[in-house]
Amino acid sequence: MNLPRILCARFSHLALVAAWGRHPELRSEPVIVGGAPELRLPVLAASAAARASGVRPGQPLREAQQRCPGAAFVAADEAAVAHLREELLSRLNRLAPLVEVGGEAAWCDLTGRHAAHPDSTGWAVAVARCIQALLDDDDVAVGVASSRQVAEIAARQAGSRHIRRVAPGGEAAFLAPLPLSVLPLDPVVATRLAALGLDCVGAVANLSAADLQRQFGPVGMDLWRQARGGDGRGEWSPGHGLGIPDPSRRLGERIVLEGGTGDLEALRFAVHRSALDLGDRLRRHGCRAAAVTLVCELEDAEPSGLRITPLQQPGSGAELWPVTLELLAGLVLTAPVTAVRLEVEGLQPGAGRQVDLWRGGDAAGEEIGGAASRLRARFGQTAVRRAELTVDPGDLPERRFRWTDPVAADVGGEGHGPRVPEHRRAALLSGIPTAAMPALRR
Amino acid sequence: MPTPLSEALATLRRRHGEAVIRSGDALGGIDAWPTGLPVLDHRLTPEGLPVGRVSLLAAASGASGRLTLLQALVAAASRERTAVYLDLVGSLDPGFLADLGADLDSLLVVRPPSGRWGEGFSMARSLVMAGAPWLAIALPAAGADPGTAGGPRPRSDLGWEHRLSTLVESVAARRAVCLVSAASPLPAALGYASSLTLECVADGWEEAHGDVLGLRTHLTVVKSKVSTPGETAALLLRYPRPFAAAEAVGRPVVIDLTATRRVLDVTAVASDIPAVAG
Repeated sequence: MNLPRILCARFSHLALVAAWGRHPELRSEPVIVGGAPELRLPVLAASAAARASGVRPGQPLREAQQRCPGAAFVAADEAAVAHLREELLSRLNRLAPLVEVGGEAAWCDLTGRHAAHPDSTGWAVAVARCIQALLDDDDVAVGVASSRQVAEIAARQAGSRHIRRVAPGGEAAFLAPLPLSVLPLDPVVATRLAALGLDCVGAVANLSAADLQRQFGPVGMDLWRQARGGDGRGEWSPGHGLGIPDPSRRLGERIVLEGGTGDLEALRFAVHRSALDLGDRLRRHGCRAAAVTLVCELEDAEPSGLRITPLQQPGSGAELWPVTLELLAGLVLTAPVTAVRLEVEGLQPGAGRQVDLWRGGDAAGEEIGGAASRLRARFGQTAVRRAELTVDPGDLPERRFRWTDPVAADVGGEGHGPRVPEHRRAALLSGIPTAAMPALRR
Repeated sequence: MPTPLSEALATLRRRHGEAVIRSGDALGGIDAWPTGLPVLDHRLTPEGLPVGRVSLLAAASGASGRLTLLQALVAAASRERTAVYLDLVGSLDPGFLADLGADLDSLLVVRPPSGRWGEGFSMARSLVMAGAPWLAIALPAAGADPGTAGGPRPRSDLGWEHRLSTLVESVAARRAVCLVSAASPLPAALGYASSLTLECVADGWEEAHGDVLGLRTHLTVVKSKVSTPGETAALLLRYPRPFAAAEAVGRPVVIDLTATRRVLDVTAVASDIPAVAG
């Protein structure tokens, strides 16, 4: 059985790296990122010297000042952090097909083989050096294991400038002697486990799933899975996340129309199908396209094409279709069309889509919201709703909740996604007439 | 040299696309969504509810626990992904779902006009095609089928069976999990579409000090395309009581009565410990 190989690299928080970039003189000093201590804000990141004084991320800045009076307080530079994150994502994508970058850790999928790094250790070293070179950070620690959770724990155990590899299938043995605090446990659950005398991961792993489920519910099943070296529910798994291709890459779809056609409905059908297929590929990759090109190949004539840089970059079929329709309307066709070619280029990671790696199935969240909005416009406002609990429920069961719009920003039936003219919206809702379906081949 | 068969295959692929004909080994295995309930994930099914297929909770009319089990599983699904609840019964209480632990922010409730199942299936299909990964359908009790209830069937709802079959195709295409709760006799189209049918038979109320704590029910796998049918299990569906002073937060709603070991059940009071079935 081929187990996945996940690499976790831990490094100094990107906000701290950005602060060091602006103030190189603070590299060896205690630095606390978050803002001035007078502000009622939490600590975002702290350097090793500050952490040695007891400063922890999440503490109030005032408390951090009391613990480390000599520290330099720096405001977080969000633009610099975003730039660093994008750059790191882009560089790691050249080394691994699936990548996720967080504030102070990055995960890469090392399953399979890399042409330039046939040995998995060499591959891990290349990733570590890439991060070290970009962030100019000597504290990079790397763990490699068959699950995301164990890879992160291995990275913590490895320490700076070291790589800890957990053999495939050896995750449970690696975790067994470690204290339960290495797992992300709810404090209440941790207290109850301690009361039962369970003080290490191995002790929990030896219990049956049924016992843990009966005692702790779904949390118990999570705990059982994690104690045996797996990932918690809803967390990332290889093949379940998003892979960001190289930004310069292009994606394209080409459909050949048999015999050539001048029928606009048939052409519209072919373009619609290309847009949906290409949009689906974009969504799977978690990308948005900076430019869209539509080319119609003509019978005995030069191809006719148009390129557009849309204001809102499409990242799915629903977003790509209106853009493509605009292009189709602008084309001048002087001969029957023999093939349709739709291309997207300038691919970029979809804004805010990286976090979707943490929860499976949420990459389509915007699209589901858009579909719900269209259904409400067609079948009425009560057709699709979301419930929310009321603050002051009273005694009656029906007062415990109230119905709300399925999309937070859904006002008057307008959902997320590109704004489409009313007449075109009606055309979209009615769909494409299948009677005009031509014979297609790729 | 092309044979008539290879030419026919080439024609079909050209006309309907490459995916229309594939060899059997290219179809791959069946993935499963683990429910988090060992009794469902290990005893009744190999790994959980099949992904891309329709699963069915069937029972005779009356209290059987099928709707509570459906809602408990929807609650679990909503904690990790967007879930859609198609409420053809029209009686969903989101407060009860919240008591079961549902994340209401991740739950979309679809409620078509009364009796218009076809419209409901169409709406659910749109959401599944948009990427909704988990779909629950609560069908009304037997006799409420718009085609058999006695009254005239709405003109717009002719052919709900056809819309159900397109919904099933969408579930398969988008690899969603679909769980249906229905009362016997099952509509033929639904029984045919199901890949996993679990029959719920009530076994009596679980009571303590005159209070109903839950419902004991027997689950039997009566049809399965993913494992061997015939497996049975006894469950206690414990009704959550969020306002009860003695309620332990986080206690499971679905309790496997066939398991006898309770090593960790130290917080349960005597009245809460269910009798071992059988």
